Amino acid sequence: MGSEAAQPASQDRPPARELESYRAPIEALLNTIIARGGFQLSFTMRRLTSPEADLEAPELVVDFSGPDSDLLVEANGELLNALEYIVLKAVRLEEELFTKITFDCHQFRRLRREELKLMAQVAADRALESGAPFPLERLTARERRIVHLALRERSDVRTESQGYGAERRLVIIPAALGRNSAGPDRR
Amino acid sequence: MKELIEAIAKALVDNPDQVQVRTVEGEQVTVLELRVHPSDLGKVIGKQGRTARSIRTILGAAGMKLKKRFTLEILE
Repeated sequence: MGSEAAQPASQDRPPARELESYRAPIEALLNTIIARGGFQLSFTMRRLTSPEADLEAPELVVDFSGPDSDLLVEANGELLNALEYIVLKAVRLEEELFTKITFDCHQFRRLRREELKLMAQVAADRALESGAPFPLERLTARERRIVHLALRERSDVRTESQGYGAERRLVIIPAALGRNSAGPDRR
Repeated sequence: MKELIEAIAKALVDNPDQVQVRTVEGEQVTVLELRVHPSDLGKVIGKQGRTARSIRTILGAAGMKLKKRFTLEILE
């Protein structure tokens, strides 16, 4: 009993270690949901040691595969997002840390990000052509953030989120229209 | 499907022993009635109903696999 194990050579930074403690409860709950929901899915969890070139900088990825993958990513990843939200809530992860753990499936997050960046540029051009504010389709908070950031460099348009909850919309506004809109809180 | 909702609700609330799910079979649709401790209502509904919406998405997908329609009613 007495022999104390030698200190491991590398020590995790404190926040990283804390994140690791969510692994087991996430895995347990996901296994239950997959079994009881009759989903044909499996998943692996991996740490991103050096956060990939990614503004969201997730540190833990839960990666799904299996016959029901299509179900996860359809409707812009509605089921993937729902699972992520429920599971992270259930394991009591603080909401500020929700971006640190991400659920993914066949590169969906990366592909969706690229799609959103492209959509942002096209919509910005559309707003300029029409000279009127251009509201985008409904997006999640995370998706809106990608669009805001994608258009930050453009001086000919600005972006705003308007409305509340599920109805919140990102609107692209030609810079020429000036800045007199109601709710300029960026997200 | 009852077991799915039970498991999700129990994971979300602070009083898992107070979670009850009742199945009401209709012709077109099966209704799952979820009851939780009053102090846990917010936990299953969430900000602007986001948690409830997410549970319904999961329920809908699981139902689709069975080719059946399910709806979730959260009882107060």
